[in-house]
Amino acid sequence: MFDKDAVKEKIASFLKQPISRLQDDALLTNLVVESFILVEMIIELQDDFGVQLVQEDMRDVKTVGQLTELLVSRGKAAASHA
Amino acid sequence: MLDENELWLLSFYRSSEISGSLFFGRLARSMKPSAIQADMTKHFSDEAQHAWFWTSCIDSLGAKPIKLSSAYQDQYLTAAGAPSNMMEILAITQIFEKRVVNQYARHSQIPTIHPTVRETLSRIMVDEKWHIQWIHEALQAMEPQYGKDLITQTLKRFWEADREVYLKTTQEHEQRLTHLVR
Repeated sequence: MFDKDAVKEKIASFLKQPISRLQDDALLTNLVVESFILVEMIIELQDDFGVQLVQEDMRDVKTVGQLTELLVSRGKAAASHA
Repeated sequence: MLDENELWLLSFYRSSEISGSLFFGRLARSMKPSAIQADMTKHFSDEAQHAWFWTSCIDSLGAKPIKLSSAYQDQYLTAAGAPSNMMEILAITQIFEKRVVNQYARHSQIPTIHPTVRETLSRIMVDEKWHIQWIHEALQAMEPQYGKDLITQTLKRFWEADREVYLKTTQEHEQRLTHLVR
């Protein structure tokens, strides 16, 4: 199991940015210089936390808070099925 | 000497190969060891080499590459949305590579094409066909993880995006190719 702080730590580490910049309402697109980096980060987070997302899941994810919530809820769902 | 339209097209190809190389290079660097990691590393290496082929081709024809901000990949991401997992990345790449092979084949059929350009297109198309093959096999290997239906649906969705890209944003390519035929 993991929580939002754990996800934010991974995001901060990947983006090499202080965690203080990762407010829940921070737009993901404002944190990267090109969209490819965002794609790479989403894939790495799935690997790190053992969850699987599809494009449809990401449709309404625009902010750090939305992304961390999605990953945490998927992690909980995966744990409850294990 | 290259005319303005051909220089633009070759510069666009170069820019797209660089974008592909950078993207696959980053993915190959962060992936866990696997068959996909190995093939993606080769794919990254091919795209980087293709960018060099285009740079060298343009230079040998007495021109300099035009600095372009967009590449094929940007058009696809805009039309299809960003992929969220490795299967989706491979699916959109599969569709994209097929379009590139098609575009290169059409370009190579222009009767007045310079032999250096035709040779460069031919060299690159050999690799592009391998790219389509390895991705096809990788997607098949992913069926137990993602399900055959989801992979099929994803490919279908990206095919629809490809048609949108083809109809809208590649009109400029068509116009430039048509101009070269005249």
